[in-house]
Amino acid sequence: MRSMMIKNSQSELYLKLTQELRRGILVLAALSQLTEEKYGYALMNSLAEKGLDIEQGTLYPLLRRLESQGLLQSEWNVEGSRPRRYYVISPEGTQTLQDLAGEWREITEVLERLLAGTANQGE
Amino acid sequence: MTLLDRYIQEVGRHLPRKNRSDIKAELRSSFVDTLEDRFGQEATEEQTSEVLKEFGQPRDVAASYHPQGQYLIGPTLYPIFRMVVWIVIAAVLGAQILAWGIGLFVDGEAFSVLEMLASLVASVPASLGWIIITFMILQYFDAKPHLENEPWDPTKLPEINTGQDIKRGELIVSLVFSTLILALITLFPQWVGFITTPGGVFYPNLVILEYLVLIQVSLLAHMVLDVYMLWKGQWNMVTRIIKLGLSVYSIVILGFLVQGHNAWLTSHSAGGLFEVLESISGISDGGWEIVGMHAFRLAFFVALVVTTIELFVDIFRIIRNKIQEDNISAKDFVLKVE
Repeated sequence: MRSMMIKNSQSELYLKLTQELRRGILVLAALSQLTEEKYGYALMNSLAEKGLDIEQGTLYPLLRRLESQGLLQSEWNVEGSRPRRYYVISPEGTQTLQDLAGEWREITEVLERLLAGTANQGE
Repeated sequence: MTLLDRYIQEVGRHLPRKNRSDIKAELRSSFVDTLEDRFGQEATEEQTSEVLKEFGQPRDVAASYHPQGQYLIGPTLYPIFRMVVWIVIAAVLGAQILAWGIGLFVDGEAFSVLEMLASLVASVPASLGWIIITFMILQYFDAKPHLENEPWDPTKLPEINTGQDIKRGELIVSLVFSTLILALITLFPQWVGFITTPGGVFYPNLVILEYLVLIQVSLLAHMVLDVYMLWKGQWNMVTRIIKLGLSVYSIVILGFLVQGHNAWLTSHSAGGLFEVLESISGISDGGWEIVGMHAFRLAFFVALVVTTIELFVDIFRIIRNKIQEDNISAKDFVLKVE
């Protein structure tokens, strides 16, 4: 019973840690896919196709936040079967994307180096 | 109304007012996209329900649209809120004590510890309520205080243990004084009273004798703390709280003594202090007793006020030390949030 509780709390902790790790990455991922305008559901599918699953409940508020920060622009498009809100990266967002991508490459490089020694320790 | 309409309506209830209808429209369009993608044009209620479950509870979905989180009083306002609370509580308590003092001596109103507590129970929560309402409004309008404008200078950090060192002289004086009084009232309780002229009539103070044991316990406890502090050399949280406790105990006893003198004076049909002083020229033997009891009451009242002020100073010291510690961590927190 006790070991089960520990396991549960550890998996909760693991979930929380994963979410924290992903939070920053999602901004970079969304910006990278919005060089062409897309609506929310299409963006989710395009991210999923490339291997990044993101819940709609996470993605839509994120898009709103990025827009309020000036990194995205959006407008309603009524031409399709129903009105959809289309998002596209702003000039400021493009600059931010470039900078963040640079940061990301440095971070992964450093972390690869750091993790290289720990690869077999968990076995 | 379809299940989807009901869901959107429920999410809308918890959404921020700003952009509410826009967010609702976008959610609707995304839900329909999802449904069509999975089940074609005509999704059943069951299929809709399945997709809605994936989206999550309406309250949770709406909460993710509140960019700063949902707070009654958020982390940015909280340090100021706490500071204002302490200032207002101190001001309310100060004003009440002043009012009691004036009531007691100018109007000769009766003094009751229970009444004191009752009015505190009424006034402190009321003041707190108003502060909370004010800060809730500030939070609602997203007011942002500018706390971190001054450049930060590590050399200005507070010294460690400032104000924690004991004042040896004060402690020794207090110890000697307490010992003398304790010895006097324990060894010669029959001498507790006053005389008008050397060799004149002696009037025992029956009110003090009534509370003798309580007074002895208070003096003894203070002496034990003084000796311990002389030995330890520094205050810490526990000893400060013990000192606060002893101060509260002294205040209660002094309250009883003032009240006891009041009762005595009332039962001897004495007027207020100023009336007695005015008639002092034509005083008889019985009159001197009344003047003496007035003097005792005044002395105990002054002691009551002084002890109360000391209590507030001690509370203020504890809070100031705490705020100095917390301010740094609160600012760290604000920076992290940004």
